[in-house]
Amino acid sequence: MLLNAVIIILREVLEAALIISVFLALSQLLNRKLGWMLVALIIGFSGAYLYAVNLSAISMAMEGTGQEVLNAVLHSVIFLSLLIFMITVPHQAHPMWRRINLVTIVLAVITAIVREGSEIILYIKGFIGIPDLLSPVLMGSAVGAGIGLSVGVFFYYLLVNMRKSHGIWLGYLILLLIGGSMVAQAVEFMIQADYIAATTPVWDSSHFISERSAVGQLLYALVGYEATPAPQQAAAYFSSILMLVVAAGISFMFRRKSS
Amino acid sequence: MVMAGPPIIEIEIKDHLFYPDEVRIPADTKVKLLVKNLDPTAEEFESYELNREKVIAGNSEAIIFIGPLSAGEYPFFGEFFPKTAQGKVIAE
Amino acid sequence: MKSIRLFLLLSLLATITLVNFVALLHGYQSSMEKAQSLFDSRLESTARLIASANSEQGIQQGIAEQQTPYTYFQIWDSGGKQLLTRSRNAPGFVTGELSEGFHEVNFDSYRWRNFVYRDQHLNRWIVVAERIDIRYSLAEEVVLESLLPIVIAIPVAALIIWIAVGVGLKPLRQFADQVRGKRADDLSPIHLDKVPYELIAVVSNTNALLGRLDDAFHREQRFASDAAHELRTPISVLKVHLHNLKQRLGEGDEDIALLKAGIERMGHLIEQILALYRTSPDQASARFERLDLYKLAQNVIAGDFVNFERKQQAISLEGESALVAGNRFALETLLQNLLSNANKYTPEGGEIRVSVRPHAESVELKVEDSGPGIPADQYLRVFERFYRVHGDRHDSGELGCGLGLTIVSHIVELHHGQIRLGPSSLGQGLAVTIEIPGE
Repeated sequence: MLLNAVIIILREVLEAALIISVFLALSQLLNRKLGWMLVALIIGFSGAYLYAVNLSAISMAMEGTGQEVLNAVLHSVIFLSLLIFMITVPHQAHPMWRRINLVTIVLAVITAIVREGSEIILYIKGFIGIPDLLSPVLMGSAVGAGIGLSVGVFFYYLLVNMRKSHGIWLGYLILLLIGGSMVAQAVEFMIQADYIAATTPVWDSSHFISERSAVGQLLYALVGYEATPAPQQAAAYFSSILMLVVAAGISFMFRRKSS
Repeated sequence: MVMAGPPIIEIEIKDHLFYPDEVRIPADTKVKLLVKNLDPTAEEFESYELNREKVIAGNSEAIIFIGPLSAGEYPFFGEFFPKTAQGKVIAE
Repeated sequence: MKSIRLFLLLSLLATITLVNFVALLHGYQSSMEKAQSLFDSRLESTARLIASANSEQGIQQGIAEQQTPYTYFQIWDSGGKQLLTRSRNAPGFVTGELSEGFHEVNFDSYRWRNFVYRDQHLNRWIVVAERIDIRYSLAEEVVLESLLPIVIAIPVAALIIWIAVGVGLKPLRQFADQVRGKRADDLSPIHLDKVPYELIAVVSNTNALLGRLDDAFHREQRFASDAAHELRTPISVLKVHLHNLKQRLGEGDEDIALLKAGIERMGHLIEQILALYRTSPDQASARFERLDLYKLAQNVIAGDFVNFERKQQAISLEGESALVAGNRFALETLLQNLLSNANKYTPEGGEIRVSVRPHAESVELKVEDSGPGIPADQYLRVFERFYRVHGDRHDSGELGCGLGLTIVSHIVELHHGQIRLGPSSLGQGLAVTIEIPGE
């Protein structure tokens, strides 16, 4: 039970910690206040709790595809937040853009916590009635959360203590990968709900790096690794990253011209 | 030709076990899994091979579309109780 | 990085957590594997035991009673068709398959691990099964017990790191406190109880810098006041010679009048420079006393009344008595300077209003005039030494050297007060407002 708890909690915490630590670091590198973080955490966990307790109603909505649709929406919201964040960053001098930029960060963090937190809450809640299994699950959760948060702390300090320009670029790079992974997961949920027709995977790298393996799990959390992705998923992944790059690039060039 | 929906296959979760734990489906056909969770605790239906993950709350049910799959074995498991909740889809 | 302490705490804690938890998982996994292989070999030996206990053709029914609910056994004939005997809780059908080795099956709402043993002599199959969840939780219970301290140790480590880092950073904090606590004029060296290796250069260089600054500051002060003092005598001599010259050449000579004005101007400058240094903090702060600012203003106005009378200016004093802690000479100099400015820059027949008002925490002194005033963008510059509004083309034709407001602001600073310039309520003139903490 312990190992299982570690894997489940670690996967969720790692994904959320990555988003949060990158945004925290970028906020600091871009000279932003960090007080919004606490508000985002509180709202995020409240949202996660609401999601968890209403899960069966949500699942049964929309002819049994409510959960997939909601998850796809949450992932899309994170992606859109990233997109608008990247577009608004070069226009920090303008107060309105600056405010929109802050809103996108807060929105992305809240959404990430709702998505990842609800699963954690559902998982741990299930064991409260099973005293024999509760202690290994809690211990595993502590270990998983500890590892995930530690990685988040390292990422944060890595970005903050780098040369400022390098830190910002690495932060952007991670955001790009997160963005691609979000869209790919959204597409996966749409396939699962049968809104997008499933086809055979474009590739099968499960013999090379299995999604079950520790490396596979880590790659999944970091870059959204899939061993057997559907063609739509792979296309969504790469095109969304391209979209982020192009949008950020155009926005940056526009700033150069206008200044 | 009459368009029928994809065939529905029922799987039950009871005491953190899948019944049946082997699901045989025709290859290259889309199938609708109706997973009924009879336990009070939540379970997550997960399969790396099928690229599926869905949380099923306690005492409720969920629909998961799978396939079309080429012939072969596709293991799935309950992520929250993987020691016991194990099963596989066999496409043939 | 916002705080060194937080950085050290979080990064050390993250390292400890990561290393310990990865080691914990490794330990957990290998212990669990070991436990599983122990359980497997126990299952195997149980199967052999049952086989040997039933080595006769007949079957001892008695054993069936001794089973726990977590294990069961079956004995099948060679074809797996007939169940020869079984424990009470065992199913009457073949679970899994009858081939030698370990298998996992679902039965009776549980997942079981069974071992199938082929009894070669009697041509029988012996199936022994154990519930997997029980095997796991038994093993886990033992393993967790040994791993729990690692998890509990993390918050303890956090507390110890927080305290240790705090102690380690104490000299730095002391250093920062002393630097922060220094008053602008305090150039004394910084002293730490213990100077750690990393701070030796910082402390010694800072102290050397402070020392050099202090020397330079004193040299400048001494030079200016010495020079001013030394210049007093030749000025007096000049005045005597001027007087003699006037006697000889008669009153009406224009050059004599210009010379007289020049000498007076130089004398004034020297007096002001002396006043500036006599009111500098290290000179004056030692002699503070309780003073009534209202009374002081009254005296100064009375003393300089001739000047106002000469220009037919209306001067008034408003307010009430207000006690402050201050240096008498300095505050007199302050009032004299403010009044002389007002006198100089207010045209003939103008108005000057002085008010002294006690507030809850402070005393407010305000001097307003009906002169030309100062443009708002020059408010800060007039406090600089030797700065004069409109530069050298000063059109007031008044005696002045540009030190008056510098001296005033020195004195205000000395009394921990504040000074503000603003428009006067008497037409377009200047209002100087000074707030000094009350007694």
